[in-house]
Order: sequence, then structure tokens, then C-alpha cells
Amino acid sequence: MKRSTTALATVLALVGFGANAAELRMSWWGGDSRHLATQEGLKVCGEKHGHVMKPEFTGWSGHLEKLSTQLAGGTEADIMQVNWPWLPLFSADGTGFADLNTLGEIIDLASWSDAAKASSTLGGKLNGLPASQTGLIYWFNKGTFDAAGLAVPTTLAELVASAAPMKEKLGDDHFPLYLVGEDVSKWMQNIVAQNTGKGLIDNETMKVAPSAEELVAAIETYAMLVEQGVTPAWPDAAAAGNIKLHENPNWAAGKIAGTYVWDSTYFKYSDPITNGELIPAGLLAVDGSDNDGVYRKASMVFSISANSENTEAAATVLNCLLNEPEGIAAMATARGLPASSVAHKQLADNGKIVAVQTEANNMVLDASGPEVSAFAEHPEVRSILKDTMELFAYGEITAEEAAGDIIMNVNEVLEKY
Amino acid sequence: MGSDSRFLGLAYVTPYIIGLLIFTAFPFLYSFYLSFTDYSLMSEPNWVGTKNYEKLFTRDRTFDKSLKVTLIYVFSTVPLKLVFALFIAVILNYRLKFINFFRTAYYVPSILGGSIAIAVLWRYIFADTGLVNMALAVFGIEGINWFGDPTNALFTITLLRCWQFGSAMVIFLAALQSIDKSLYEAAWIDGANQWQVFRNITLPLITPVIFFNLIMQTVQAFQEFNGPYIITEGGPLKSTYLLPLYIYEKAFKNFEMGYASAIAWVLFAIVMVMTVIAFWSSKKWVYYAGDKRS
Repeated sequence: MKRSTTALATVLALVGFGANAAELRMSWWGGDSRHLATQEGLKVCGEKHGHVMKPEFTGWSGHLEKLSTQLAGGTEADIMQVNWPWLPLFSADGTGFADLNTLGEIIDLASWSDAAKASSTLGGKLNGLPASQTGLIYWFNKGTFDAAGLAVPTTLAELVASAAPMKEKLGDDHFPLYLVGEDVSKWMQNIVAQNTGKGLIDNETMKVAPSAEELVAAIETYAMLVEQGVTPAWPDAAAAGNIKLHENPNWAAGKIAGTYVWDSTYFKYSDPITNGELIPAGLLAVDGSDNDGVYRKASMVFSISANSENTEAAATVLNCLLNEPEGIAAMATARGLPASSVAHKQLADNGKIVAVQTEANNMVLDASGPEVSAFAEHPEVRSILKDTMELFAYGEITAEEAAGDIIMNVNEVLEKY
Repeated sequence: MGSDSRFLGLAYVTPYIIGLLIFTAFPFLYSFYLSFTDYSLMSEPNWVGTKNYEKLFTRDRTFDKSLKVTLIYVFSTVPLKLVFALFIAVILNYRLKFINFFRTAYYVPSILGGSIAIAVLWRYIFADTGLVNMALAVFGIEGINWFGDPTNALFTITLLRCWQFGSAMVIFLAALQSIDKSLYEAAWIDGANQWQVFRNITLPLITPVIFFNLIMQTVQAFQEFNGPYIITEGGPLKSTYLLPLYIYEKAFKNFEMGYASAIAWVLFAIVMVMTVIAFWSSKKWVYYAGDKRS
């Protein structure tokens, strides 16, 4: 009896339900909350549309290596979470991923703004749908500023002016801002953009857009922040080892009172704080600037494999995850505030979005600034910026030499594209 | 041996040989081919001749720096580790109370040492607010910037490697225990002191094991990755940027597989040269049982 029941179930599975069912793989990186949300989303969307979903998830570290190896071997998942800056690496001409424009009858593309879709279009092909829009803003620990009797800064000049009284009141180990490592080069791009209206890379000429003098001005502004005690000096910060700011005990204790990071990372930085309250402060204006210099981008996109044998099934599931009530409810804000207007409305109506997330995201979306090139986050470009600024911070090279090195070395990388 | 048993033996080792060919020999040789290409993972490899090697030796300042750091690391770590391992092995060779407990305790770091968790622990111990600086503060000594100062950072990574002396120590201990006790007794009768016994009996008799440990530790040191990657990420100012980190960055972050392969082959050549020199020099200082040299 048991054997015949099993045989019947197998036949039904193969003949009856298997006619339209596909087995689909989806890969992503993230933390536990994202893993749980996405697995739940795949479960409900797989059941709704009759597909078998196979999740593949990792932490951030090593995901690029895994994805690149899979893409090189043609063994990538049907649906992939791809970091926005990786798109030109894997699909410079737009053929590396499926063109989602051709799946417009399955995916409701109207849920994304034209600007959002343009940001992940290469060679005229829509290579991915943004999960969310994110940008860099200042975050400050209000508790520390309150304890120092200071208002949270709204301009760069106010930030600089806050350092001395904060140290006088709370001690020399207190800093209003933490700019170390890659944050320095991201922050410099904001200063350059505010001073000149230029992004780091001009996508038309594929060269570094600012002149050496314009870069020198931003580099010297960073040096001024260190001299004034606004941010710890790079060598002093490095004494803690290769440790992230949110893991730093001085951050938790409120001794470091500010950072310049993505709006979508609120919980990562607010959760460890034991003394104070983290609030978004938008972008601090530089004297005389006529734009905010926002560094805004699609935080990550969902793409479909160009090699998938089940492209339409993958599109059905992707649409469910991002546009249908069951998928939206399951995925929630595990990837920040959704870029899909349908998802955003549903979550807002159901009270699933924390006010501070909306406040911070609006600061990003409302801010002005030049276009951000995806090549600004090319791994080699990032390494060049970080290494050069490290040499400057350790006094190995001058601001002029740093600017010259950045222009020469970044242009050399861009020549390949 | 009959032909049947010969075939049986071959059958037993065939799975291993197939695995060796597919997963080790082929990638090993293919990487040599790739080192003469511009392979970038996302496109077909194009033959570029010796361009990668030319760039490596003439224009790549990061390679120069990384090679220098790697050589300093290897030449400081290996002797330190071997001396320390031998020192502990000599102590643990005495018949002390609880000797088995001590032997286990000293071996544990080598089991844990290569793990990510220990690298993270090391980071906390030597951080500005870590255990070492706290201990220094007890004696009124100002804390040292272990990771942020380029002159100190490599030292902390070296210490981590030396702390993992357990496997070398166990091999030394086995060698010490195999020395014929009658040689020691004869030396005591002739009036030799501890140092003379160690210098003239123990040390010569364990030279084959010293040689073995030297080769193994040298190769492992050239391959070090976890410690500097987790603790300092190669910084500051690339003062802990060992060649394996550079290979990793070029291959998997910059997708320059061809260039990374060239670096890997240069590293292989260096290790080979070191090994050949060690073997050549071993004729002068390694003594095997039955050796006729006096």
C-alpha cells in the first residue's frame, strides 16, 4: 500500500503538476534577517506559482568571488541579487544578464521609476531591478552632542566647530565624526561634488572628472578635519585592527558621535549604541556649494540569468517577490525601503516601515548632486582611492601627489572599458 | 607480487590519482598557461606572451612591496618558530608531573591557530584597548599602536604564526624521544654538561627533523593568508600585505586571473628556489643514521 501510494505521488508530480513547474535557484548575500525574509518570500511565491525554489545564500564577504566564478562557468542561479556596481563588470554591453524589458508582460516594470531602471540599464538592456535606492548621509549620535551641550551639525563648518567643545566637555577621546578607510574617499567625493558639481568619473569621457586642483582641495579638507580633531587620524583608528565601526566599542559608548554611511544601514549602526540615539542628518553643506553632492545609487538589483532555461518562470517569481502582496509582505524591508512603488505603498500602509528609515531615505532621494558612475565602485578604483588616501594620511605623500596618483591610476583602469 | 595484486593496488589508488589529476595537476598546469594570458573570468583568455611577467618585474610597485614583506615575514617567522618549538619540545621531553597535560596544552594552539576565530582573538589582544596594552598599562608603560603603525603590524602577525608552534614541536618531541639514551649516559660519564650534551648529541641527531620542519614551515609561511587578512587586511600601508593576499585581490576582486596566475607562479618559483637551496645546504648540516661523516 505504502509503495503504491509513493508511486502514485511520483507519477502525479511528474505528469500532473510538473507540466508548468520549474526548479529555480536564487542567490543572494545578507544577514540573518534578510536570509529569513527571502526564504519566506521564495516559499510563498514558489507555492503561489507552482515552482520549486532552491535558495543559495551567503554573507557579504566572498559573495562577489562566488558570483563571478559561477558566471564565468555558466552555473549561476536563475535569479540573482547583484550589487549595482558589479553590473558593468559582468555585463559591460548588457548581455551578461537577461534583458528584463523583454519580460515586461510578466514583470510589472511600471513599479520602478525611469531613473531607477536607467541606473541598471546597460547597452539598452535592463539588466536588473533595483531592490532599493540608497545613498550616503551623515548620521550622528544625538546623545553625545546633547551631553556636550551642542546642537547636531547642519553644515560642515558647524561640524568642524563642534570638535573642540566636545573634547573639552567630554574628553579628548571623543570625536564628532569617524572617517577612516574607504569612507574617506567616499566622503571626498561629496566634497568635490559640492565644490564643483562633478562626480568622480565622467561616464562620457571615461576619465576622472575633477581636476588635480579640485581633488587637492577635497584632500586638504580631510586633512583639516584630522587636524581639528573632528575625526581620528587614520593611524590611530587603525590601532583597533581591521574592525568595522559598528563593532568598535567607542562607537557603542558614544565616544565616536558620527559617521557617513548608507541610509539603508541604519539598524547596523544604531543597534550597538548603548549610550545615545542615532539620527540622520542628511548632507552637511560646504560653504558656497549649490548642490548637496549626494552619492546615490541602487543599493542592489535583482537580475535573471542570461543562461536560465526557465526565464519566464524566474520572471514570475521575481515579480511575485517585488510586486505581489505575498512576496512583498515576506520580503518587507530586509533590503531597505523598496524601490518598487507597489511594495513601498503596501509596507507603508501596513506600518512596516520605521519612521527613521523613511526620513533618512527621503534625505537621500531629495538631495541633489551629479550623476554617480558605477565605475566609482569598480574594485580597482576603490583600491586606488583607499590606498592613495592611506599614503596621504600616513604622511607618505602630499595632497598634490595624492591627487596626481588618483587621476593617473584611475584613468588607467578606465582605459580598459 | 602477482599481476592480480598489482592491478588491485592500482585500483585502490586510481580514485586518488584521478582526483589529483583533475583537482591539482590540471589547475596547477593550466594556471601556468593562464599566466601568459589576460584571462579575466568573464571573457576568453587571450595570449599576451610575457606581458604579465614584464609588468610584474618592471612596473608593479605593489608586487615589489608585497614580495619584500613576504620575505621579511618568512625569514623572521620560520627561525623564530623553529627555535621556540624546539625549546618547548626539549622542556616537554623531561619527565615532569602532569607532562601529558602540558604536551596537550602546548599543542592546542596549532590546532586552533589557523582558524578565523583565533585571528579575530589576536586582533582583540593587540588592539589599542586590548589585553597587551592593558598589561603594559599596569606597569605604567604607554600603549603601543600594534596594528596602526607599519613597523609593528607585521610583528604581531609573525607572533601569531610563532604561537602556532605545536605541530613542529610534536615532531621535535618525537625525534628527541627516539634518541638512544646510552649516548647521553656516555656523555654524562665523560663529564659533559647540559649544554654540551644538547649541542653535540641532541642537535646533530635531530637535524633530519629540523630539516623537515624547516621545509614544511617555509612553505606554509609563504602561503600565509588568514592572519593578515583578518587582523589587518594587509595594512597599514601594505606592511602586512603578503603575496597570497595580493594574488587573492588580483584574482577575485579585480578579476585579473592571468596576472594573479603570474604572481602565483613567481611565488612558486621562489618557494622552489628556497627548497632547492635548503636541500643543497642539507648535505653540510643534516646527519642521517649510518652517515659516515665525522
